[in-house]
Amino acid sequence: MNPILRTFGLAALGALVFIAIGLVVPAWFLFTMTKAVGFGLVALGLVGLLRGGLLSFGQGLYYCGGAYVSGLMANWAGVTDMIVLLSVGCIAGGLIAALVSPLVARYRGIFFAMLTMALSMVAYGVLTKIAAIGGSDGFNVPKPTLLGYHLAETGFGLYAIAVVIAALAAAVCRVHFDSGLGLIASAARENELRIEYLGASVFSVSTRSFILAGGLAGLGGTLNGVALGHVDPFFSYWTTSGEMVFIAILGGYASVTAVFGTALVTELVRSFSGQYFPESWQMLLGIFLLLVIVFLPRGVGSMWAKPAKNHAIRSIKEPAT
Amino acid sequence: MLTIRDINVKIGQVEAVRNFSMDVPAGSMIGLVGRNGAGKTTVMRAIMGLARLSGGSVTLNGENLEKVDIHRRPALGLGYMPETRGLIPDLTVEENILLPTWVMRGIDGKARLKLVYDIMPELMPMADRKALLLSGGQQKLVALGRALTVGTRLLLLDEPFEGVAPALAQRLSEVISSLRSESLSTIMSMSETTHSESLLDQVWRIERGANVAAGAA
Repeated sequence: MNPILRTFGLAALGALVFIAIGLVVPAWFLFTMTKAVGFGLVALGLVGLLRGGLLSFGQGLYYCGGAYVSGLMANWAGVTDMIVLLSVGCIAGGLIAALVSPLVARYRGIFFAMLTMALSMVAYGVLTKIAAIGGSDGFNVPKPTLLGYHLAETGFGLYAIAVVIAALAAAVCRVHFDSGLGLIASAARENELRIEYLGASVFSVSTRSFILAGGLAGLGGTLNGVALGHVDPFFSYWTTSGEMVFIAILGGYASVTAVFGTALVTELVRSFSGQYFPESWQMLLGIFLLLVIVFLPRGVGSMWAKPAKNHAIRSIKEPAT
Repeated sequence: MLTIRDINVKIGQVEAVRNFSMDVPAGSMIGLVGRNGAGKTTVMRAIMGLARLSGGSVTLNGENLEKVDIHRRPALGLGYMPETRGLIPDLTVEENILLPTWVMRGIDGKARLKLVYDIMPELMPMADRKALLLSGGQQKLVALGRALTVGTRLLLLDEPFEGVAPALAQRLSEVISSLRSESLSTIMSMSETTHSESLLDQVWRIERGANVAAGAA
């Protein structure tokens, strides 16, 4: 079977299973899972960057960008359709990333991490000062619709949309990571000069990964803005970006689905610890991270993800059908 | 075809290459011979743009290579096999060979792979093996195959016989010999010409970064 079709088939199957699960779980869990998908999408973009040896501490900027642009569109233009809002949020995140990429994509290591964080903090500072869009309080996002229908109060509709988006994003990323261009990004992590003399521009490779990560962050920001019904500058704060890095590192870059699982675990730990150990939930997260680093150094996803066979090779070995 | 004129390359404060010149006619096999540290690898790296020139010029068919970005040089038909092989350890043999075709337009990956396998059929059985699992000699063959994927006009082989068992060096020599064509030139850097004497049309000798002699092999 064509590996790309197989990937999308598996994603569709996974989405159906999780939508079915959504029918039997309580509303609070639906909300937690929806939020986890939002964070997972941002972390998935980070996984793409990590595969290329880049670590961004400023994904909050694109997350916030997506949430603000889609939220403002809902408020000012009255557009509440989730398909439109998610598309706009994704494009906004990707566009912001494309705008800053000429500056950041030429840096590596700690410089890249700090520069991305600095940009997200600049956005945070600017947003807190603009009273027209709520300043530091942010603004509320209207209830979403889908193709003219209002989504159920239980949150199931939004959850189902989130699951479909997560499945699509995971499948697209899997296909991209296993493609020639995706493997070149991984090769850049090993040695950048090496891929330059083989004909690939490291700058282009980094820019591509960065824009993809920005688009996914915009998507996640839109989803969480709508789920929470509120958007504020804290979306761009450095601790928000840090949480996403935490989720991405826990998930590892072997799997494209692990980040959604680790995002859910993080959300659950935060929810329950906040209730029962309000002062020490970060400690629990820290212990969890420590255990993963010691026992699963390639991330939680390494438990089931095998090294992928790339589609570029298969297309040469197997005649097209 | 390739003309190197009075190039200078500094590594830190050290002048690794000093006023070095060389001419590589189309279809020729050239040996760049010198002791360890003589500057052979630096000349190779300068041709690929990996070492910055502080003086002089490198032109390919009249085109000044200094104005061409490193990642655009393979598109001119330059294939480079570094001394360290430079394979991507997590990729398979076939992926390593095909890697340049994933980014360069106008290259038929299928045809180039077939060419590499025709020249080095011993690579086929190890096509799915990760590069990190290969011996040093096998890695040399793969690196040569990868250089061949893009090197349609000029092949730069840095120390191809260094650290390779005699039998494999002989095989490498046969493979390189089979590459001889009117359109493809080859520069091989080496500290001695034991395995390549019969291959070379010309030998350029380099010592302390400067030309010392040139002539027919």
